[in-house]
Amino acid sequence: MIPPAKSHLTGAAMAVVLLVVLIQAYLFETVLEAVLDGQRGVLPAALAVSAVLSALALFLAFKAPTLDQHK
Amino acid sequence: MAGWKSLFPVDLAEESRLSRREFARFMALVSAGFTGGIGYLYLRRKPLDGAPAAASAEGRPAEVKVCRVEDLAPGNSFLFTYRDAKDRCILIHTPKGEWRAYRQTCTHLGCAVRWDGRRLECPCHNGAFEVDLGFPVAGPPTRPLSRLNLELRPDGWVWIHGDLPKPTLPGQGGDA
Repeated sequence: MIPPAKSHLTGAAMAVVLLVVLIQAYLFETVLEAVLDGQRGVLPAALAVSAVLSALALFLAFKAPTLDQHK
Repeated sequence: MAGWKSLFPVDLAEESRLSRREFARFMALVSAGFTGGIGYLYLRRKPLDGAPAAASAEGRPAEVKVCRVEDLAPGNSFLFTYRDAKDRCILIHTPKGEWRAYRQTCTHLGCAVRWDGRRLECPCHNGAFEVDLGFPVAGPPTRPLSRLNLELRPDGWVWIHGDLPKPTLPGQGGDA
């Protein structure tokens, strides 16, 4: 039986992912308040920023093998 | 008794361990979920409950006349709707003779505020807003009421007009 590869994200990559999630939560809450106030004009910019942040987090989490530290 | 362990060589302690990469993947998916939520708000055409509709959503004009000036004595208020039937607003003729108009939706949890002759009060959680700018002065609300532009026109009517209501900033709104 072949054991699975032991690998994990670097601390910096992990911190970036967590920071992105925090920013996303704050952004979503802010956008929701703005929409409830009738200010839909913020949505295109907020969606663009959120998409970029999500792309960064997804890349780090799924497609960044060089960030792994092999033991 | 130990025979089944040789058939299923699974280390339960190792299996329940969550690696940092798996946790990061979960967090990244949460992030994507927030993006999906914003995308839903962007694509959704119908306004959310409690939010004013777009100006032309129901063919309503961008300005409406609310009541005649002489019909509202100082110290009284008048309820009306602006953009659509759900966009409840309140017109106030203050005891000092000034006119103010706000969306009636409390910025805490969306209850309808009411005029008590001195300030706007929210009965749900005892929030209160001062009448000059709509800023919260008591209770849990932290954001001001959305203020509408108003105008006293020569035809004797109070008119409400302008863009979608936004939280009040000093210097904005329709002083009369």
